[in-house]
Amino acid sequence: MNIDFERISELITKGQIEQLQEQTNQAIETGTEPAILLNKGLLPGMDKVGQLWRNGDMFMPEVLRSAKAMSKAMDILRPHLSKDDMGSAGKMVLGTVAGDLHDIGKDLAGMMFEGAGYEVLNIGIDQPNEAFVNAAIEHKPDVLGMSALLTTTMPRMGEVINSLKESGIRDEMAVIIGGAPVTKEFADEIGADLYAPNAGSAVELTKQYFAQNNS
Amino acid sequence: MQISVMPKTNLTMSTRTNYSIQQTPHFQILSDNQKERIYNGMLRTLQYTGANVHHEGARELFKKAGCKVDGIKVFFPSEVITNALATVPPVTEVFPWNGDESKKITIEKDRSYFGPGPTPPNFIDPDTLERRPYIRKDASTVARVCDALPNMGYVQSLGSISDVSNGLADVYEFADMVRNTTTPIMSWSFTRNGCRDIHRMAIAMAGGEEEFRHRPNYIFYGEPISPLVSDFHAIDKCMYCAENRIPQVYSPCAIGGGTVPATHAGQLVVALSESMVGVIASQLISPGTSVIIGGVQSILDMRNSIYSYGAPELSLLSAAHTEVVHYCGLPMYSQSGCTDTKKMDIQSAMEAALSINAAMMSGANFVHDNGYTESGMTGDIFQAVMADELIGMARIIEAGIEVNEETLAVDVIKNVGSGGHYLYEDHTMKWFRKHWQPTLMDRNSYESWQEKGQKTMKDRIIEKTRNLIDNYEGPNNEVPENADQEIEKILQEAEVRIKNDPES
Repeated sequence: MNIDFERISELITKGQIEQLQEQTNQAIETGTEPAILLNKGLLPGMDKVGQLWRNGDMFMPEVLRSAKAMSKAMDILRPHLSKDDMGSAGKMVLGTVAGDLHDIGKDLAGMMFEGAGYEVLNIGIDQPNEAFVNAAIEHKPDVLGMSALLTTTMPRMGEVINSLKESGIRDEMAVIIGGAPVTKEFADEIGADLYAPNAGSAVELTKQYFAQNNS
Repeated sequence: MQISVMPKTNLTMSTRTNYSIQQTPHFQILSDNQKERIYNGMLRTLQYTGANVHHEGARELFKKAGCKVDGIKVFFPSEVITNALATVPPVTEVFPWNGDESKKITIEKDRSYFGPGPTPPNFIDPDTLERRPYIRKDASTVARVCDALPNMGYVQSLGSISDVSNGLADVYEFADMVRNTTTPIMSWSFTRNGCRDIHRMAIAMAGGEEEFRHRPNYIFYGEPISPLVSDFHAIDKCMYCAENRIPQVYSPCAIGGGTVPATHAGQLVVALSESMVGVIASQLISPGTSVIIGGVQSILDMRNSIYSYGAPELSLLSAAHTEVVHYCGLPMYSQSGCTDTKKMDIQSAMEAALSINAAMMSGANFVHDNGYTESGMTGDIFQAVMADELIGMARIIEAGIEVNEETLAVDVIKNVGSGGHYLYEDHTMKWFRKHWQPTLMDRNSYESWQEKGQKTMKDRIIEKTRNLIDNYEGPNNEVPENADQEIEKILQEAEVRIKNDPES
C-alpha cells in the first residue's frame, strides 16, 4: 500500500490527532519503514508548522495542537525507531522548581519539545531539587528543563545544577532554564547551557545548541 | 381675616433648584442580566469546580465555614460566598503617614485612584534610557516622582529590587518608598514574614499599632495563581492582612486563552472566582476588613506568546470586570497606562491613552500598571509621568458637565448678546480656571514652539521626569527620627531572618 506522506504532513499542520494516529498505525502495519515515515511525513509536517508560525500564519493554540499530534504519532513510532533515526530529538525531563506553583510556561515549552519529536517527561510543579536529579539519573535525558516564575525560587535552579555535578552527570545533558524573571545573565551565572526567553524559542535554541556542540 | 403669605422666590417656583443630581459619567459594557450570569458563573465554578488552596490552616477555616474540602481542593457553597460579600465594608479610608488630608484615600464606590504597578524585573534607567535590572535606588525614585505627580493617587514600585539579599526585595522596597512619599503605598511581599516586616514599618510610621488600626496608612497587594490556585504564601499573606486589618488586594493575572477561557465572559467567571477565595478567607478571619479584587485582565497574544498589556481587550475586560466586581459590592483593582512596546514611542502613548480613558470611564477604584512597558516586564518612570498627564485629561471627561442656573449662564449670554466676547465677564474670570491645563502637551504657536527649542513630547517627558528626580525632595526629611531608626532596625532583623532561613 502506498502511504500518502503529504497527507500525513497535512494532518500534522491541521492538528488532526486521531486521524494522524490512525494513519501512523496503518503505515506501520502495512510495513512502511518507520524512519521514512518520520522523515517524509511527520518532520516535514512540523517544519511546515514552524514556517507558518514564523510567518505569523499559525497561532499558538494551533501550533500546540500540531505538536500534540506529532507527539501522539511519535508515541506510536518510537518503539520502532533506532537512536540514529531519532536524530537530535531525544528525551527531556522538565519541571518547575521547589516553592513555585507556576506551570503554564513550562507546559508550553514541554509541548513544543514534544512537537519537535522529543519524549518529554514533565515532572510537574513545586519539585524539590532531588526530584530533578533523580529523574535525570533514572531517565538519562538529553535535555533537562527548569522553570521558575519567582525571584525567590530562581536559586533552586543553580542548586539543581550543582547537585547534577555532584552526581557526576552534569555533562550528560544540556540544561535549559526559563521563566519571567530569568535572564541570560542568570543562566550563565548558575552554569546552565541554555536560556529561552519564551516557550516558542526554546526548541529552536536547543536545536542550534546541539548542532554547534555535535559538529 | 389675616392671611400670611410667603414671598415668592425662585425656590418655590419649581422643584428643579431644590436638588442637584450627582452624576459621574461612566460607560457600561454589561447589562444587569449579563452581570448576574457572570456572577452566577462564579458561584457555579466555586461550588462545583472548586479552587486549590495550598494551605492547611486556610482549608480548615473554609471547612469550618461549611465548605467541602477534598485534598487541597475546596468547594465553596454559595451561602459562604454571599456571607463573605455581606461583610466587606462599603467604605474604608487610608491615611498618608504625615496627616496630609489631600492625599487621603477613600475606598468606596465612584472614587478612583491611579498608580503604578508592582514587581517587573527590569527598569528603564532614568539617565541612559536603557533597560536594566531594577535596583534599590529605583524604589525611592519612583516613590518621590509619584509623590510629586498630582494624578497618582497611590504608589507602587514599578519593579522588584535585584541588588539586595535574595528574598528581601519586598522589605527594602517598602522601607525606602515609605520614607520618600506620603502618598499611600500599595506594598507586596514574598511571605508572611515580609508582610510582618512591612507592617511593622507602617506601624512605626503611623506612630503605634492602635494608631494604625484607626488610621491605616498602606494597602497590601497579593495575588493567587490563575487558574483557580491559591498558593501557600498568597493565602497566608491574605490571612495575615485580615488578622491585622490591613486593607488588601487579592487578585489574579488572568491570561485569556492561556490560564482562563478565550471568551471574555469565561475569563471574568474564572478571574472573579480566583479573587473570591481571598475575599472569603479575609472575611472569615476578620469580618469587615477591607478587600479589593480585580487584577490584570488581558489576553495571551497567540502569535508572540506574550501577555498583552496594550491589547484593547485589556480595557474591555477590565471595564466589564469592574462592573461585575461592583455588582458584588466590592471595590475594583483595574489597570491602564501600560504598553507592550519596549521604548517610549508612539505605541506606548497610544496604548496608555486608550486604556487610561477606558479605565476612567469604567469607574474602577484603583487603576494600576501606569508605567508598565514591555508587557509588564519593565517598569518605566517616564511612562508613569506621561500617564499622569493622560489621567488628568481623562479626569476632565469623567468629571462631566455641571448644569445649573449659574453654569447655564443665560443671564451672562443676555449681557454679551450677539457679537462681542466673554473675556471681560466676571463669569469667565470665575470659571475659566476650571479648564484643564497641560504640563506636557504642546499648545504653543509654531513660532514659540521653535523659540523654545522645537521639543517633541519625548523631550518634554524626559525633561519633566529628570527635573522631578533631580529637584523634588519629597518628604524624606519629615520622617520622624524614631520611625527612621525603627525601619533600619527592622531591615537589620530581616537580614538576620533571611540569613538563617533563606526561604523564610
